[in-house]
Amino acid sequence: MSNTVKPSLLTGVLAQVGRWGIFSFTAARWTCSAPPALGSVLWEAYQIGVQSLSIVCVIAFFIGSTIALQGYYAFREFGGQNLVGIFVALACVREMGPIVAGSMVAAKAGTAMAATIATMRVKGQIDALEVMAVNPYRYLISPRLLASLIALPLLVVFADFITVFAGYLVAVYQLGVNSGTFLENVATYIGMRDVFFGMIKGGVFALLICLLSCYQGYYSQPGPEGVGRATNRAVVSVCIICIIMNYLLSEMMYG
Amino acid sequence: MIEYKNVDKSFGDLRVLDHISCAIPEGKITVFVGPSGVGKSVLMKMIVGLEKPDAGSVWVDGDEVNRMDERGLYRVRRKIGMLFQDGALLDSMTVAENVAFPLRQHTSKREKEIARIVSEKLALVGMPGCEGKWPSELSGGMRKRVGLARAIALEPEIVLFDEPTSGLDPLMADAIDDLILEMQRKLRCTFVVNSHDIPGTFRIADLIGVLYDSRLVAYGEREEIQRSRDQLLIRFFSRHTGR
Repeated sequence: MSNTVKPSLLTGVLAQVGRWGIFSFTAARWTCSAPPALGSVLWEAYQIGVQSLSIVCVIAFFIGSTIALQGYYAFREFGGQNLVGIFVALACVREMGPIVAGSMVAAKAGTAMAATIATMRVKGQIDALEVMAVNPYRYLISPRLLASLIALPLLVVFADFITVFAGYLVAVYQLGVNSGTFLENVATYIGMRDVFFGMIKGGVFALLICLLSCYQGYYSQPGPEGVGRATNRAVVSVCIICIIMNYLLSEMMYG
Repeated sequence: MIEYKNVDKSFGDLRVLDHISCAIPEGKITVFVGPSGVGKSVLMKMIVGLEKPDAGSVWVDGDEVNRMDERGLYRVRRKIGMLFQDGALLDSMTVAENVAFPLRQHTSKREKEIARIVSEKLALVGMPGCEGKWPSELSGGMRKRVGLARAIALEPEIVLFDEPTSGLDPLMADAIDDLILEMQRKLRCTFVVNSHDIPGTFRIADLIGVLYDSRLVAYGEREEIQRSRDQLLIRFFSRHTGR
């Protein structure tokens, strides 16, 4: 019988969290001490933004529409259907805009980051960078980190606008809510502070998406199976942690 | 000069290197041979600090690389070029961009000068005019050639070859061996090669190290190793050459 002590689930999770912490710290250190070239950051930001923009628009539109529908039917029970604008504005700008943008960036750009870096690991290209005296954190992680921090808050603003716009279309043109009332409710209950808080959420999601996705790729297991597993782990861990973080941030910002 | 002093390395319970000591001289081709999984790649990666020994030390030109910090390691690595098993070309870049990569990262040369060097290095490895190709368009042998062009782009003092002929047909393997000999004749730098191709090793090596069962069982001049009456070496080489 083997005497080897197998790590428990808890120690395994703690080891992963610790390793991710060290990875994130190293990425942040390299990003601050030796910033990457502006061109590579802008190129990555363009990639992340363009990769995610169309899907953010589509999802945001239907999320906004659904929220307007549900809000209308719920408020109609007690004769308050004209208040749907408040519901749409608060739900979309404070919560759904950041979540839609974050989850779509995680699904599109996050998986692309994990798969690209995992493939580079599996094919020995990260070792090749090291041997060529090119720091992989500086070359691979830092541009993606800064690019995510630029692109995601902007996508949040975009998602905010699309969700509220879709809610307006459904409420006014499908459900017959008064246009002026809807817009007045939105303007009364949503201010620049809410948009700004949404962008902060976007920034936090950007850090988490980039660092978790790149981490999973960077420590990918060998072979094509390793690349698949890294991508899968990246999207699952990002979704779980972003949803939890969204709750904590909402509590801090609006609690 | 590269020197291993009593190097030990294990992965978990598996001991891959056991008290390895040897000195690799400058300006020669030194080939390490041994079965797959014997630790040749680990030994080579220690030169560039990608692996660290559990015990012992690795020295490159008087620097103990296993104790160096990140900055020191990058300084040492800038005088080393390495050809990986499948070339390890960056997929997102063309052949020219791959070869130009170390030049763009570490020099302030103008693009015109970089383009000239890229063409020169590609011609040197027998791949002229393929600047615009993508790594996915290249065969295994071509990828190795481009990998070699990239490895020598900065004109390093030391070039490492990890299994340069593995996965190639015998004719292409011979062509790569010829290329290594020609490169060494032109560049006069230190070449360290990992191989399990025994005929190729006898063609190109000045010195041969034989790794077997985690130990360096023989190390010396090619002729000395070929003439050895050691039963293990005779068995090892006859199995591979039919001698």
